[in-house]
Amino acid sequence: MKKETKIITKNWGQIDPNEIDDSIEVGGYQALEKFIHKMTPVLALEEIKLSGLCGRGGAGFPTGMKLESVQKEKSKEKYFICNLDESEPGTYKDRSIVDNDPHMLLEGVIIESLIVGARKAFVYVNGNYQRQIEILQRAVEQAQEKRILGEKILGSRYSLEVEIFAGAGAYICGEETALINSIEGNRGEPKSRPPFPTQVGLFGKPTAVNNAETVANIPWIISNGGKKYAAIGSKKSAGTKLFIVNGSVKNPDVFEAPLGTKLSDLIEKYAGGMQKGKNFWFAQVGGSSGRLVLEKDLVRKLEYDREAKVPLGSGAILVVDKTVDIHELLLSWMSFFHRESCGKCVPCREGTFRLWEIAKRLQDGQVSERDVAAIKDILWTLSNTTFCPLGKFAATAFGDAISNFQKEIYKLSR
Amino acid sequence: MTVEKILLEFDVELKNLLPALKKINASFGYVSEMDAQKVADYFSMSLSKVYETASFYDLIKTKPQPPLVIQVCSGANCAVKNAYKVIVEIENQLHIKAGDDFNPNVKLEIISCLGQCGRGPIMIINKKIFTQVTPSSAREILQNYM
Repeated sequence: MKKETKIITKNWGQIDPNEIDDSIEVGGYQALEKFIHKMTPVLALEEIKLSGLCGRGGAGFPTGMKLESVQKEKSKEKYFICNLDESEPGTYKDRSIVDNDPHMLLEGVIIESLIVGARKAFVYVNGNYQRQIEILQRAVEQAQEKRILGEKILGSRYSLEVEIFAGAGAYICGEETALINSIEGNRGEPKSRPPFPTQVGLFGKPTAVNNAETVANIPWIISNGGKKYAAIGSKKSAGTKLFIVNGSVKNPDVFEAPLGTKLSDLIEKYAGGMQKGKNFWFAQVGGSSGRLVLEKDLVRKLEYDREAKVPLGSGAILVVDKTVDIHELLLSWMSFFHRESCGKCVPCREGTFRLWEIAKRLQDGQVSERDVAAIKDILWTLSNTTFCPLGKFAATAFGDAISNFQKEIYKLSR
Repeated sequence: MTVEKILLEFDVELKNLLPALKKINASFGYVSEMDAQKVADYFSMSLSKVYETASFYDLIKTKPQPPLVIQVCSGANCAVKNAYKVIVEIENQLHIKAGDDFNPNVKLEIISCLGQCGRGPIMIINKKIFTQVTPSSAREILQNYM
């Protein structure tokens, strides 16, 4: 087997997340020094663009382009936000980053903020991640003591303040405009675009919002150069990705693998294969908002590609075996989306609610002909008319299940 | 700790509204209308604006909570590990329905992912986390709280 490339997980298990000195010993903050002493923001941005790094939160938007549009803005006040409001069911990659190497994340936050010209950065952490909030807070304090943060970073003319902002338990706040609303003290509802947050963002100022995993890639790119990063992974998408494999596999865990890895390899080689006596039924890629992958599609490569049949999403993979009751999964998806729908637009608020009701009836075997017809209508409305992607996500898995497993789903009702 | 004292810890900036509400919620268990009015006065905004924000977030309650709050994760990863059987078991044991808040003594909430998926199903009783819960272990755990 080829030597594994480790970018994000390279220090995992070797350092104490509460000690900045541990991190510095293994090369932490060297990328920041290189950036400050040997590079300009424009030059650093070139490296990031060259690397082909895409947003790791799910949408896969090129990070370089996003940073460039904020860098170009002339406003004196700009913000950088690291999105750690991870609440997609089955996804805990960002939490693992904080648990194992918070300083790599912080270094990425500092470099990206300086690149776009922000003097204030926020790390928006899921409100349920109490321990991770404490770890990050400690990391920021230690960095301030070492003069890596604050006024005149490492003796240069750069200054930056980083604030850890704890969310209050709303899935929709992972969407960047909703996240900005939430910091501003409003309801966490998405806003319409344009204007994009890169022009009119937090408090009306240009704002770059990046997922935590994206941020954690930045120090490596600055140290080793964008070209080297682009060489990792597949042709269409560069770099490595954290995959969270869960469900009926032997060793469920977070794995770092190059993009373009086959789904079957992830299950067999990384997660140790299926548990004894369990047969593969399907896998869901990308958390609860992801598509279902049947056995024949297991050979597909996982990468960020707009035409991909299986969008990668957050990188969470749930492996489902034949002993699982599909009705419970339908109910789980719909109760989640119905709970987390923010209520701003009617198609999503009502659609998720009705599908949740139908999912309950499906489980009781009391579904009527009218429900069966309604499912189709609701799914169409959700995927075509909702305001933000949450509605579309709500329809993805449910729609896939209805078209693939009709027999199993209506078994109780007929 | 009074609401006034908590508020004085925060600068009057919009970004401090959510943290202030969370802190009041942590100290008193919920944000009452009277407290919300104090927050509104402090931040110079209308009561409806404060309520608008407070009522949106799961971690901020606008009603007093019963002494026993049971939460069970039903995210897909817990669902494939029989989380729904645990929920049904608790419902039958305590004669309540998930999501109802009619009972003044106990409440069962279904929640989503907390990032502990590797160790699911997850049950939380008054903020104490129990992992790999089964219907029978849930029954045993509940006995300690009755």
